[in-house]
Amino acid sequence: MKKANSNKKKRKTARKSKISKASKNKNSASRENPIKKSPAISKKTRNSNPYIPKPYKVIDYHKETPDNFTLTVDMKIKHDPGQFVQVSIPGIGECPISICSDSDEYIQLNIREVGNVTRALSKLRKGDVILIRGPYGRGYPMQYLNGNDVVVIGGGCGVAPLKSVIDYIENHRADYRNVLLILGYRSDEDIIFKREIAEWDKKYKVHMTLDKEVHSHICYDMRAGFVTDAMNSLHLSKDNKIVFVCGPPVMIRNVIANLKEKGFNDDQIFISAERLMYCAIGICCHCMIRGKYTCVDGPVFRYDEIKELKTD
Amino acid sequence: MEKLLQVRNPDNKLKVGFYGITGCAGCLLSVIFNEDELLDLIKVVDLKAFPFVKEVNVDESFDYIFVEGLVADEDDLEVLQRLRKNSKFLVALGACSCTGCVPAYRQFTLKENYEHLLYRKREEIKDLQPTPVDDHVRADYYIPGCPPDKKEILNFLKGIAIGKEPKPYESPVCIECRKNGNQCLLDLGKPCLGPITAGGCNSVCINGGFECWGCRGPTKDMNLPLMIKMLRDRGFDDAFIEARMRTFVGLKMPIVEEFMKSKEAGGKLDTKFYGKKEYFE
Amino acid sequence: MLTLKQEKKRFREFLEALSDSYELIAPVKRELVKFDAIKNINDIHFEKNSYFPVKEFFFKKREVLFTFNGNRILEPKFENKERVFFGIRKCDLNAIKHQDIVFMQGANDPYYIAERERSFLLGYHCNEAPSEYCFCGSLELEDYFDMMFYDKGDHMLVEIGSEKGMALYKKFSGFFEKSTRLIAQHEKKIPGADRLKVKDIGPLYDNPDWKKGVDICLSCGACTALCPTCYCFDIHDEVKMSNPGSGERVREWSSCQLPEFSRVAGNHVFRNEREQRFKHRIYHQLDYFKEKYGIQMCVGCGRCIEGCPTRIDFVQIINEMKEGEKR
Repeated sequence: MKKANSNKKKRKTARKSKISKASKNKNSASRENPIKKSPAISKKTRNSNPYIPKPYKVIDYHKETPDNFTLTVDMKIKHDPGQFVQVSIPGIGECPISICSDSDEYIQLNIREVGNVTRALSKLRKGDVILIRGPYGRGYPMQYLNGNDVVVIGGGCGVAPLKSVIDYIENHRADYRNVLLILGYRSDEDIIFKREIAEWDKKYKVHMTLDKEVHSHICYDMRAGFVTDAMNSLHLSKDNKIVFVCGPPVMIRNVIANLKEKGFNDDQIFISAERLMYCAIGICCHCMIRGKYTCVDGPVFRYDEIKELKTD
Repeated sequence: MEKLLQVRNPDNKLKVGFYGITGCAGCLLSVIFNEDELLDLIKVVDLKAFPFVKEVNVDESFDYIFVEGLVADEDDLEVLQRLRKNSKFLVALGACSCTGCVPAYRQFTLKENYEHLLYRKREEIKDLQPTPVDDHVRADYYIPGCPPDKKEILNFLKGIAIGKEPKPYESPVCIECRKNGNQCLLDLGKPCLGPITAGGCNSVCINGGFECWGCRGPTKDMNLPLMIKMLRDRGFDDAFIEARMRTFVGLKMPIVEEFMKSKEAGGKLDTKFYGKKEYFE
Repeated sequence: MLTLKQEKKRFREFLEALSDSYELIAPVKRELVKFDAIKNINDIHFEKNSYFPVKEFFFKKREVLFTFNGNRILEPKFENKERVFFGIRKCDLNAIKHQDIVFMQGANDPYYIAERERSFLLGYHCNEAPSEYCFCGSLELEDYFDMMFYDKGDHMLVEIGSEKGMALYKKFSGFFEKSTRLIAQHEKKIPGADRLKVKDIGPLYDNPDWKKGVDICLSCGACTALCPTCYCFDIHDEVKMSNPGSGERVREWSSCQLPEFSRVAGNHVFRNEREQRFKHRIYHQLDYFKEKYGIQMCVGCGRCIEGCPTRIDFVQIINEMKEGEKR
């Protein structure tokens, strides 16, 4: 993974330097030989059309809650935890779904039925074909965790991208230290990844909260309240910790406020942002947060990169 | 929302009906104007009832009912309530149905003023206060416009047939108008309501040189105080502005009257218009 | 840079020859000035800049990304017939440059690239600012053209700016004379077009004076539709009535001034306040883009002010702001 990450870093810097090089070239060229400078066209070949998705087979469907399900898709592709794909249903549309697994053999997509596309996706079963393009975005910075404990804070559907982090750690267990999971759900009906959480509970510290009262008793520790309540009762200290947060905007805001109270630095906090997206390749502007594209520069941001999140 | 039926299963086609109560039937015509695709429509949905074009109309359980017109008398109300009971989703079709539109103007005048001019047998009229559909029954969707864009109705039908929940068009007319390459009529001194009116009509009036009267209703995000100030800057008086804004959505925009009477509306604001003022009435 | 000279008579003949061998697109005066295909050279309008930007020829208002039938996808064919644009002003040429950065360097958008590859860009220099709202002089505009025409009264001076321009010149070399005169830097400046006095608006984000603009904003989106650099879009699917399983995926211009622009599932709108949206546009133009690509996106054409129903002059608003003031 380290390799993948450094590759990715390279890719990124390569892209940046390409741009700056291009502009530099232009400037220097205008001084030396103006005719050679080519303002009109960079001779970039049209190798592939980034808007066109490819068909993949669904190999498993699992219903998590009444309105939430997980699809396993036969898509063999390298990706980082926290990255997402664009899933299409022709005629209905396209939407971004984060990958919630860590494997080169398949990808898992956890989906909640909230819109047209997700409702159509919920009708898919094993053997059906879906159209996917991706993966896109910058995932969680796993190399950042070296020598640090990781605190994973997720709320509701926000647990999905974080599952890829946990899966990743599991696949590279030796490289990482302690893992603390704080997961919040609205009610016990809304708990996604019940199967997985039972497994995680055996290996990591897992704390669960439910907004409403707790009715059922599952093997793991579960309390009524918000994730912030759990954070308070755990007396989190900021030393050697990296926090990954994903969830609804309100939760993210409260969690960050809570972490700041506890003295966490901005560069210890990573959040996964959710925005409307169409192109996923850094053009259409819908996902822009203060000039940063969620689809290219995110969806995972270090908190200091988009500090003014609340105003935009 | 309940899972919509998939179009792939021909036995399970959506049962759809089109009905009109008091109105000009223009919105139903708007459906028929889709001549090229109208026959394909039957492949996609089961057109159970459309008294305007069909001889045999089955009045039973529908998935979607489209109602044109507003409630003006007791017969209308009876029909509407029966339709509501028989259908899963009721779609208000057209401005009358959504907001009251021109027929609702009757509310603003006394019955004695017009009754004797229009009707011989006055005692037979069982009239009600003219009101849009959703004053009486629940409406699930609205297709605004006077008349609605024919493409929009078709897109709605296509959408429900493949399981896509229709979304209202909420952006102002201006954005389509500029895309269509029109000159801003406000710059010519015409009282165009485009900036506060929801689009989706492909700015059809302005394409033809006629200003927007706001038939599709205000956008949720409208800046009404500014719009009123702009019209005042262009020399239109309050009575004119009020009447214009009320024409199509009078019953749904009491905020206009409220605002016109408020103090806030008094201030002058320079919105830079130096052209010649013209009335287009 | 290679400089050429052309008598006005030869210039006309050159345009005639161009329109004979290519599709020639230039500003035409109808109700408003807009770029359109030219049939008669006399139709070309020289006085004012086009009211509508030239971007619609490259980044189209409506573009079919692909057609589908079930899960089968068919990519559209790309047009490759060459065409010539004449009369693009300096600001618009730079706007094309900025869109090139987004569509061709930042991403690899084949639809845009196809339209750009088949186009020659022939500029026409403004001898004076064509509109009272121009402020291109306040921004760092560069030479970015295939050919640029400088109107010098009885003759034209022509600069060649690229290999493509060179090729076009070679094809029509009979219409040009060689010139030893170089165009000086001061000749490339457009007088009266440096209204924007503030170079970096970053520290002004919380200034209370933004309200002046926000109060007279209708959020109608006219500014973004007229902007030559704005490049945002929506993507949606359109299906056929005869077979709802088939149809096309389409992209259309959008506008960041609309609340729907940032609406996510669950009906949360991230930029719900008019002020946030207003500032987002200005900051994207003057600040965010610079952060990402090293250059301000705005090119100072003034269209968003001229085309605004209430003429929100954000340049003036920014100029009048006092630094350090906060709400």
